[in-house]
Amino acid sequence: MTDRRDEFSPDASSPPLEMERREFLRLAGATAALAGLAGCSRQPKALRPYVVPPDGWIPGAKTFYATAMPWEGFGRGILVETHEGRPTKIEGNPRHRDSGGSTDAITQASIRDLYDPDRSAAPVRQGTVASWADFSQDWLPRWERLRAAQGDGWGIVIEPTTSPTLRRLIGEWSKAFPKARWYQHTALARYDRAGTQEDYRFAAADVVLAIGSDFLLNHPAALRYTREFAQRRKIDQGRLNANRLYVIESAWTVTGGMADERLVLAPSRFEPVLRAISDGLNGRDDFASLGETERDFAAKVIADLRRVRGTGLCLAGPEQSASVRTWTELANRLLASEGRTVISGAAMRGDGDAGCAGGLAELTAALNAVQVRQVCILGANPVYTSPNGSEFREALAKAEYSVHFGQYLDETGEGCQWHLPESHYLEAWGDLRGYDGTLLMQQPLIEPLRQGKSAIEMMHWLTTGLAAEGYDIVRGGYSVDEETWREWLNAGVASGSGGLSRGGARGPHALFDIESGTAKHESGSIELVIRAEPYLRDGRYANNAWLQELPRPFTSLVWDNALWVSPEMAQREKLATGDVLRLTVKNRSVEAPVVVVNGTADGCAIAELGGGRRRADGSGKGGGFDAFALRGESETERWLGRAAWERTGRSMPLVQIQTEMETEDRHPIWQFAAADTEHLQPREDPAISLFPTPPPGSPAAASAPVHHRWAMLIDLSSCTGCSACVAACQAENNTPSVGKDQCGRGRHMHWIRVDRYWTDGGTRSAPQPVPCMQCEKAPCELVCPVGATVHSSEGLNEMVYNRCVGTRYCSNNCPYKVRRFNFFDFRAPRESPLHLQENPAVTVRARGVMEKCSYCVQRIDEARIASEREHRPLRDGELRTACQQACPAEAIVFGDLSDPNSAVLRRKRERTHYALLAELNTHPRTTYLARMVNPSV
Amino acid sequence: MSVAGAIWGTYAFYHSPWWTRIGFAPDQPVLFSHRHHAGELRIDCRYCHSSVDRAAFAGLPATQTCLSCHSQIFTDTAMLRPVVASLRENRPMAWRSVTRLPNFVFFDHSIHIARGVACASCHGDVAHLALEEKLQKLDMRMCLTCHRHASAYGVTADHLLNCSTCHR
Repeated sequence: MTDRRDEFSPDASSPPLEMERREFLRLAGATAALAGLAGCSRQPKALRPYVVPPDGWIPGAKTFYATAMPWEGFGRGILVETHEGRPTKIEGNPRHRDSGGSTDAITQASIRDLYDPDRSAAPVRQGTVASWADFSQDWLPRWERLRAAQGDGWGIVIEPTTSPTLRRLIGEWSKAFPKARWYQHTALARYDRAGTQEDYRFAAADVVLAIGSDFLLNHPAALRYTREFAQRRKIDQGRLNANRLYVIESAWTVTGGMADERLVLAPSRFEPVLRAISDGLNGRDDFASLGETERDFAAKVIADLRRVRGTGLCLAGPEQSASVRTWTELANRLLASEGRTVISGAAMRGDGDAGCAGGLAELTAALNAVQVRQVCILGANPVYTSPNGSEFREALAKAEYSVHFGQYLDETGEGCQWHLPESHYLEAWGDLRGYDGTLLMQQPLIEPLRQGKSAIEMMHWLTTGLAAEGYDIVRGGYSVDEETWREWLNAGVASGSGGLSRGGARGPHALFDIESGTAKHESGSIELVIRAEPYLRDGRYANNAWLQELPRPFTSLVWDNALWVSPEMAQREKLATGDVLRLTVKNRSVEAPVVVVNGTADGCAIAELGGGRRRADGSGKGGGFDAFALRGESETERWLGRAAWERTGRSMPLVQIQTEMETEDRHPIWQFAAADTEHLQPREDPAISLFPTPPPGSPAAASAPVHHRWAMLIDLSSCTGCSACVAACQAENNTPSVGKDQCGRGRHMHWIRVDRYWTDGGTRSAPQPVPCMQCEKAPCELVCPVGATVHSSEGLNEMVYNRCVGTRYCSNNCPYKVRRFNFFDFRAPRESPLHLQENPAVTVRARGVMEKCSYCVQRIDEARIASEREHRPLRDGELRTACQQACPAEAIVFGDLSDPNSAVLRRKRERTHYALLAELNTHPRTTYLARMVNPSV
Repeated sequence: MSVAGAIWGTYAFYHSPWWTRIGFAPDQPVLFSHRHHAGELRIDCRYCHSSVDRAAFAGLPATQTCLSCHSQIFTDTAMLRPVVASLRENRPMAWRSVTRLPNFVFFDHSIHIARGVACASCHGDVAHLALEEKLQKLDMRMCLTCHRHASAYGVTADHLLNCSTCHR
């Protein structure tokens, strides 16, 4: 048998660490050099307690610390679970409104980056490993000369940030070096306009019109928006206060997937439709320039927005053209929804900083003109993320002295004379602001595992020439007393901060004035829509195997990005998924595989950034194509364009986890219209159980032993299909990533998957998370020859790894196909630092065993033990599964059916409750609430 | 005959003290006596194994714990020298574990203490041991014997016999 470990080169270059997983947990203190490996040795293991233990420390107990995660420069409050100082899992911080206790897939997966063996470990000079001392020796004389010259010829590139400390340091640096220039570079969207940013109140919005905006996934405040939006989708004790979402977009987004009415348009058709809508709102219905579907859609939007007025909301994605964004501002003003559903306030991120000398284009010009001779690039990767990477790289090569500071030795690091390692955000002191303005404290969870420094420490060093501790730099910026400071650190949130201040009245805008586009189906040329990869963003997470292997919404692609085209175009041009096209924009061309996706605007191609990394190690290497080359320089050309295309005649294998999205009359998703809520007939009685439990309240129940009956409910009305649950499950349950090849053979290991089906003839779509159904009459249990999967007294369908011999009969007999088999040893090599991330409460499975969702039984055990230790019953809601805790829509409810007041039982009593494949009589404990849609009549 | 011999041999091997480690006292960095501390001085187990009623892991005494008494008594004896050295050099003591918990078993000390299971029920009467050794075989049969008769501890819960109680 081949040793599949070789396949996972991310781990191959890891430094040897003599550590064992459970060992590490149990042993106190001194983490290094734990002697004694398991197996054949008869020598007992050594246990090393602390010499002096930290205050209040309990060995083996997990501790949560509050900190903040940067998401495109904005902060997101998180709580990090640590075991003996080793961070293992990230949860949302309920005290931060933008998180509300939930997380997204990227936040969940970012814990893996901390232990990534490919993370840059030491300064590198021209490809040779050096040390910080070498750099300092090389740099300080130069820095002295720069100081004497007031920084003449010095340029710094940094990503826009909300961090008050970092922005203060940049200011101090500019003051110390008045002739130096600093540039900001982000490959992704800007959320500010003219010094202000818009924030939305979805809880108050009855009708929402989203124009090319993916506010439910691709936004710094997406978690809060999802929570508020989802509240308006849920049926609660038979009542529904549904909002209505209109979406205009060119291809499916997670937001478009929630639309009640969706109009698929090429970007060139946005403006005529918007013009008709604004005319309609002004009382002049003029649909002459519109097609039939466009006219229907516009008429519905106009009628609805006129009806609700101030509780209507129009928003456009930050990628949209200035005129579209201006249109939404005017529309909101017309509806008088400003201040009710739209709040504008001061921009939180420093994109518009007056001291900034510009972006990458300005830097390239300055480098070429030899105005900037020394350049320091902090955190960004412009060689990869600029439209013309080679041009920038050549300009960079002209610099006398170039330094790249980042977490990975990436394309830019390679192009610079020096590469310096940056610490992971869990290793650094700092501060950030959320999109809502909340000041978040960032504290390190662990000493830097590599030799990294934080951006704050680096900036301080560049300014003063003196090294200082990140803590002192951050703390020095706050004049609060020690008690308040500790309170802030403890909460992760500075008290009294947050809440966007209402901005001043905005100046008059030029009215909507653009020539109407006409959709052109020119053969050989297509409209390009460029957008951020949902999970890899601008490619910065390309090295994260969890994110690479997370099936993408709508395509369920893994390990590659591909060019989306419409089925009409595929038919017309005889294209099939996997065919490679050559796209040419200006003089640059890119070869990209095609994926055919229903609901994509005809004549449009959607390119997602973040693939085709040229210089990345391990899992990041090679996958997908580089869409940056398709980008133009100007603000609008960054997201929209036109490309010539031709066939290459080749095709490449793309791996899609879900290949069939038609329901074929099987109705795994039950969908109902909001207007029919009153007339729904219940399908399932949640009280029926095959378990002999007396009805609650009866005399028999009083004397009978308490049996918990664990059950889960997934509300399909509020689920957006963002896959946060999948990533959370992977982090919690030590689920391996298996690589593209194994995924292509259907051997992915996720315990919960998000299926997606087309509904209403493909005009709508509905996601459906499918974990193990924990059937009361489980077909898997009957066929196991060794009793490795058995039923517990509380209704869990348990998987006993050490009994499993790997016949896979259970998986064959599972009607829901939720069982996963370890075809190979998918564990990281023994010495890999990735083991440090593993949850010590869950077995790390070896080759040849079956595994599946356990309802997070380790959390059940833990909560039960805690309650019994305190001699009290388990409280409803005290115990949450990993998927439930992560879900920003609060679509997953878990609890005890025996508790008459439990939330899960209350939710299961809704009339929209149903079980998947109920006709098989498996009596699943995991059930669903039907998908609500609220179409305009 | 040889088959029977092989079976007997295997049986004998797996029940031999060499395999079960019963009665073996591994070398420890300090000649620590439970008989003296727990038996004669009647120091509570929880004084040193301080997290036993709060966490899954019972905990081993930190060097500081030893020195809370031994900074006053027997401070400069030869026996205590490794403990003093540990503090001086800030180097943890390397105790040899006597019992071993396999990686696929998840045992929680605190709930057993909370339910009134005495330390000696599993670990035996260590208060009579001059040198720490394993007194009882800690196998699944032993766990199940108690879990099947949990009513003796006032616990009426069938969940104790679920696989996931210990394996997950």
